[in-house]
Amino acid sequence: MKRPEGAWLTGGLVASALVLFSLLVLPVGALILRGGVAGLRQLGVDGELQRALALTAASATVATLITMVLGTPLAYLLARGRLPGGTLIGALVELPLLIPHPVAGIALLLAFGRASPVGGALARAGLGIVGSPLGIGLAMLFVSAPLYVSAAREAIARVDERYEQVARTLGDTPFCALRRVTLPLASRGLLAAAVVMWSRAISEFGAIVILTYNPKVASVLSYDRFTAFGLDAALPVAAVLVLLAMLPLALLRSLQASAGLRERHP
Amino acid sequence: MRAVLDTFARRTGTRVTEEHGASLELARRITELHRTPDVVALADHEVFPELLLPHFVGWYAEFARNRMVVAYTRNSKHAAEITADNWRSVLLRPGVLVGRTDPVTAPAGYRTLLTYQLAEDYYASPGLARALEARTPPRLLRGNAADLAALLAAGELDYIVDYESLARAHGFTFIQLPSAIDLGDPSRADSYAKATVLVGAGQDTVRRVGAPIVYGVTVPRQAPHGAAGLAFVRFLLGHEGQTILRAAHVDVLATPQFVGDSVPASVRTVTPQ
Amino acid sequence: MISLDHLCARAGQFELLAVTLAVPSGAWGIVLGPAGAGKTTLLEAIAGVRRVTSGHVVLRGVDVTTVPAERRGAALVHQHAFLFPHLTVAENIRYGARDATFARDVARRLGADALEHRPVSSLSGGERQIVALARALASEPSILLLDEPFAALDPRRRARTRSELRSFQQQRGITVLHVTHDFEEAGTVGDVAIVLDAGRVVQVAPPAALFRHPANGAVADFLGAENIFAGTIERLGDGADDVAPLRFTGEGLVLFAVGDHAGGAGHAVIRGDEIVISRGGEGSSSMRNVLCGIVREIAPTGALARVSVDVGATPLVAIVTGESARALDLKVGDDVVLRCKATTVHLC
Repeated sequence: MKRPEGAWLTGGLVASALVLFSLLVLPVGALILRGGVAGLRQLGVDGELQRALALTAASATVATLITMVLGTPLAYLLARGRLPGGTLIGALVELPLLIPHPVAGIALLLAFGRASPVGGALARAGLGIVGSPLGIGLAMLFVSAPLYVSAAREAIARVDERYEQVARTLGDTPFCALRRVTLPLASRGLLAAAVVMWSRAISEFGAIVILTYNPKVASVLSYDRFTAFGLDAALPVAAVLVLLAMLPLALLRSLQASAGLRERHP
Repeated sequence: MRAVLDTFARRTGTRVTEEHGASLELARRITELHRTPDVVALADHEVFPELLLPHFVGWYAEFARNRMVVAYTRNSKHAAEITADNWRSVLLRPGVLVGRTDPVTAPAGYRTLLTYQLAEDYYASPGLARALEARTPPRLLRGNAADLAALLAAGELDYIVDYESLARAHGFTFIQLPSAIDLGDPSRADSYAKATVLVGAGQDTVRRVGAPIVYGVTVPRQAPHGAAGLAFVRFLLGHEGQTILRAAHVDVLATPQFVGDSVPASVRTVTPQ
Repeated sequence: MISLDHLCARAGQFELLAVTLAVPSGAWGIVLGPAGAGKTTLLEAIAGVRRVTSGHVVLRGVDVTTVPAERRGAALVHQHAFLFPHLTVAENIRYGARDATFARDVARRLGADALEHRPVSSLSGGERQIVALARALASEPSILLLDEPFAALDPRRRARTRSELRSFQQQRGITVLHVTHDFEEAGTVGDVAIVLDAGRVVQVAPPAALFRHPANGAVADFLGAENIFAGTIERLGDGADDVAPLRFTGEGLVLFAVGDHAGGAGHAVIRGDEIVISRGGEGSSSMRNVLCGIVREIAPTGALARVSVDVGATPLVAIVTGESARALDLKVGDDVVLRCKATTVHLC
C-alpha cells in the first residue's frame, strides 16, 4: 500500500515543481529566444546599447561595493543581535523592498533632491542626483541594498558565534576576529548576497527612470525603444540585459556547486 | 475623461477599467502586445495615422484640443516674475532648470521643439529655438510627461514645457502662450505646419511637422466589446459628455472631426448641442 | 589564580547565580555538575565571551570583569573544538601563537604535529580536540578553560593527552578550570573539585574528599553514590567534639556513623564498595552497622558485581568483586548479612 502512495506523492511534487518552473523560466526563455541573437549581434554595432550596458554594469558594481562596505557591518550587528531594537531596525531596512519602484524614485527625490537640505548641499557640491550616474547608483542602491543586507545577515548568522569567541580568547580584538574568522567563513554567503543585489540592481527601471532618464541605463533604453520603435527594437536590448544579469548568477552557482562538498561545521 | 467614464458607467451599468499612459505607449500596447481595449482615446491624434490606421482602427474622431504651456510651481526660480510676455527671457536666465519630454518617445517632446521654432518666428528673435532647446540638457529630459511632472513637483525643475491638460491635472501654475505658437488652435493648422523638426538619429530619424494638438477617440477593429465601446464614444461626443469635459477644463471642439473611411453612422450622427 | 565573587551571568536558560569560588594559581580545578548546571556558561564568563550581569571575575589577582576577552590571558577549549574550517591544522595551531617554535613544540608534545597536513574537515572528533588543545596552549595562556576537552578521545589517547597536558600545565604554572562528566578524570588530574548545580556552587573540595563526603544527597546522587537515604540524624555523644558518634534513622534503616553533623534532617550516603556481604550472622566484627536482607539481583559489571539487597522494603547496593560473589555462591533470594563501618557512612 505504501509504494503507490509514495509514487503519487512524488508525482504531485514533480508536477507542482514543473508548473512553477515553467512560470519562471518560460518568459525568460522566450525573451532570450526572441531577442538573444539579435541582441548579441546588435551589441557589436550599437554604440548606445554598449554605453547603456557599460553604464548599467558600472553603476550596479559601484552601488554593490558601497553596500558591501556599509551593509556588512549592519548585517553583522543584526545577525549577532548587538543592536538595541534590532528587530525593528531589520524590518525598517527592508522597507524599500515594499515600495513600488517609481514611488521609490519619488521618495529619493524628496529626501535627496535639490529641494531637500541634504540634496541641496549635494547639488551645490556638484553631486545632483537628477540626470546623473549618481542618481542611477542611488536608485539601484535603494531598491537592492535590502537584499544584500538580509542575505548577508543570514550568511553571518550561519557562522557560529563561538568561532569568533575562540578567536577572542586566542588574543584577537573583536575587529580582528571579524576579519580573520567571521568574514572568511561568511565570505561565500556574502558574495552570493552581493551577486543577488547586483543582478537586482542592473534590472532596476522604475526608480532610475524618475531620477535619471539620461544617461540611459539598459532597462530605460529597452523601454524607451519599445515606446519609440516597438517591440522588435526593445527585445534585443532586454535580452542582452537578461544575459548580463545571468552572468554572475551562473558564475556563483558553479562556484557553489564546486564548493558543495566542503563541509563547514565540525 | 475619467469623469465622463464614471458618469457613463453609472448611467449604463457598464463595468469600466482604465489604463493610462503616453499616447505612443498605449498605441504600442495594441500594435506590439496585442492588448486591444474597447475604446482608445489619445491625447496625440497623430499617433492614429502613424501606428494604428488602417490596420488596428478604421477611423477616429477628433473631439477636443490641447495646447503647449509653460508650467511651474510657486517654488520655481523667478516664479513671481514670469509672465506671458517675458517667459522666454526667464527660461533663459542662468541657473533656471527647464525640463521637457524626450522628442523620440513622447509627442509632447517634439511639440515643445515645434513651439520653440514657432516662437522664434513669432517674436522675430533668431536663435531663440536653439537657445531654449539647449536649456534642457539630456539629464533633464524624461521619457514621459508623468515622470517630468514628478520632477517639477519635487522641485528638481523650475519650469517644464508640456500640455495644458498635464499642468491642470497636476495642479501646476502655467503660462498660456500665444495661440500662434501653442499648437492649440485648429484654425491655424497651416501656419503651424511651417515648423518642422528632425527627431531621432541615423536611419531612425523622423521628420515632425507642426499641427494642432487634438484628442482623438475610437473603437479598435478588434475591440472585445465593440458595441459598448461605440456606446461610450457616442456618450462622449454627445451633449452630456461634452458638458462634463468642459467642466473639467477640456477644450472641446465645436464639432468633432472624423478621420478614416469606416466611421460608423451611429457615431457620425451624434450632435453635441 | 581564578577567583569568582558572586558572579551572575545568563545564557539562554542557563544561569549562574552568585557563583563564588577560587582555584589557586597553578592548580587544576574540576567542575562537575548535572547537565544544565551552567558549567559552560561559567567558563565563558571567565573567558570574557559571556556578559556578566553582576559580580566579579578576578584572574591573577586582577579584577578583569570589564576587561575584553583578548586581554584576559585565558584560552577556552570547547568540547566541539571549533577549529577554524577555513584554515589548515597548522594555521589553526599557530592562530594565537606569538612564537611559532613554541607552537610547533606544543603540537609535537600533544601529537598534533602528525595532523598538520590534513584538512580540518577530515579530522575525527578526537583529533579535532587535540588540535584545539594545541591551539589554546600555543597562545601561551596563563589560564586554561576546558569544556570536556577529552570527551571524543579514545581511552588510550585520552590518558596520554591528559598526562601530557598535566605535565605541561605544571611546568608552566597554568591555572586550569576543567568541566568534565568523568569522575575518574576528576580524581586523576583535579586538585580541587567544584560541584555546580542549577547555577549555584554546591560544594568545593579536593576530589577524593568530594566522593567520600558529598555535601548533600543531590551531590551524592550526581556523583553516583549507590546508597542514599533520607531521614533524621541524632548526635549520640556529649557533643563536645566536632566529630561525634551519630545515628541515622530513616527509610526503615538505623545506621551508625561518626562526623560533625549537627543533627536534624539529612541524608545517609554509603558507597557500594564500602559494604561487605556475608552469609549468615555468625561471628563478630568491629563493624557497627549490620543489616539483614534478601538478594534481589546480581548484575556483573566487568570484574565487579553489583548486588542489590532488600533490607526490609529498602534496597541497598553493594559492589563486590566477581570472585567474591562466586565464592559466596550468591543467588537471588538468598539471605545475606550486610556490614559497614560507621566511618564509611557519610551523613550530610
